[in-house]
Amino acid sequence: MTLSTTNRAVRTVGDRLRRPVVRSGMPASTKLLGYALVAPIVIIMAVVIAFPLVSAVTTSLQNQHVIGSPADFVGVDTYAKLLQDDAFWAALGRSGIWLLLNMIVQTLLAFATALLLQRNGWWSTSARTWIMLPWAVPTVAVAVIWQWMLNSNYGVVYKIFAGVGIDLGAPFANGAFSLITVILVNSWHWFPLSAVVIYGALATVPNEVIEAATMDGANAWRSFWAITFPLLQRVLFALGLVGSLWSFNVLDSIYLTTKGGPAGASTTMPVYIYDTAFSAFRSSEAAAASVVTVIVLAIAGMLFFRFGRPKEY
Amino acid sequence: MRFSVRLERVPAVVAMIVLTVTVLGPLYWITVSAFKDRQEILLSTPTWFPQTFTLTNFQQLFLSTDYVIYLRNSIIVAVATTVVTLIVSLAAAYSLYRLRVPGSGRIAGIVLVSYMIPGALLIVPLYKTLSGLELIDTFAGLVLVNVAFTAPFCTWLLRGFLLAVPTELDEAAAIDGAGPARTMLRVVMPLMVPGVATVGVYTFIFSWTEFVFASQFIVSDTLKTLPIGLSALVGQYTINWGLVMAGTVLTLAPTVILFILVGRFFVGGLIAGATK
Repeated sequence: MTLSTTNRAVRTVGDRLRRPVVRSGMPASTKLLGYALVAPIVIIMAVVIAFPLVSAVTTSLQNQHVIGSPADFVGVDTYAKLLQDDAFWAALGRSGIWLLLNMIVQTLLAFATALLLQRNGWWSTSARTWIMLPWAVPTVAVAVIWQWMLNSNYGVVYKIFAGVGIDLGAPFANGAFSLITVILVNSWHWFPLSAVVIYGALATVPNEVIEAATMDGANAWRSFWAITFPLLQRVLFALGLVGSLWSFNVLDSIYLTTKGGPAGASTTMPVYIYDTAFSAFRSSEAAAASVVTVIVLAIAGMLFFRFGRPKEY
Repeated sequence: MRFSVRLERVPAVVAMIVLTVTVLGPLYWITVSAFKDRQEILLSTPTWFPQTFTLTNFQQLFLSTDYVIYLRNSIIVAVATTVVTLIVSLAAAYSLYRLRVPGSGRIAGIVLVSYMIPGALLIVPLYKTLSGLELIDTFAGLVLVNVAFTAPFCTWLLRGFLLAVPTELDEAAAIDGAGPARTMLRVVMPLMVPGVATVGVYTFIFSWTEFVFASQFIVSDTLKTLPIGLSALVGQYTINWGLVMAGTVLTLAPTVILFILVGRFFVGGLIAGATK
């Protein structure tokens, strides 16, 4: 396989990391137009992301209760209180489990789906479109659908399982199962996006290379690991990074099904912060939790970038 | 049609059936349930097809709830978010990936890194920022937030489409005496239609389905969007399942219809943008 095929096949997000060619002779009018065009997104990101981030740091150093109410500067007291709060650590741990299990379930589903989409025939052709439907369904509808189907009195999925002798109980209300149930529901909602992106990346793998490998006696398993997987690495890396962050960010799927319960059993970090701020009215603690979590995520992101990044980057 | 039964195809066929049922089954089930009457929907042995085909649930939804208001609000927010995101991300992508103004690599990096900060973590300070700007309980505030969480991804997605437009076109336009703004609007943008469609569908669906920000930043009943209205129906003390089913069907119908119409192009565009 030539290097140029590799490059063409797997060029992804990472390209932005390459230094752009700075045209020294750019006319002033073009430069002006360029900065005017990029200004809106920069201003919006400053207002919606950067400014609130700074504001979170200030709030976390105070003892504010209801959002926006007057508060005193207390230094790192809030952090000390937060770091001693078992619920905070439990939520962070649950977010870790959430991230990992969502990743595993969705990657397996997405890969299997992508391989099916690649085949010929009417099923694959039509599925390339309708497979995305769960992603297009509003989360609140996703929550209703699964609560309805798993309802122990009238739910069709519950009945089907009962028919073969398996009692699902009340999966959203059972502390041992609520987190895993929400993970499965959330995966149903999100796996189509990864499936389609992986399918697209698979389509960039040149067929002739696979055929040549098959003729040389490589089986499907071997040619997947030797040819397809390395070519997919860039897409998978980008998907892994963005997908993890999207997944970490999920609040609605959890809130709309279990509200983080029962007894906190499905309270991940976003749910913890939401509840601390809007139900318990401890804004400063919520802000401190946000700051700590952003730092943890930044470190995790950098480690992933350092060690998970494909070599040719 | 020829049905060839080959043993090696069995696992794939089974996987296809499982996937079809898993993905489309729930959508089928919710839809047929919406057309069942009060007794049938609660039968202990579910019926696969409505025996008592009725429109009462939908009728009740329109008459006894504010569904129409929520629908109007969702349309306003989704359309406004889509239009603003399109303008902002097209402009940013053109500047960063086409004109490549000095510092564009760094600007693109900063925008993408800030996009990666989970929004759910920022909801508290964001509330404060928005109330400082007097944007709490306004569509403008919600649209602003939605744009911030869609525009960076869309800018990046448009990058792939921009790279596919040959730069020779710009040079030719320049030789013909077109200024940079004219080149952008008259030469490059018309070729960006597939990218615009993809980004538009993504943004529309994002804001149509958005729940977390809408639930905190909108207070008035008259400004609530569909997901909030639907979650209120579910939150009632005794759930009227028929009504909830009808509400769910009408909440997901617009995105599903959009998808049936343009889904093929959207999937193609997503793939083109993400794997370039």
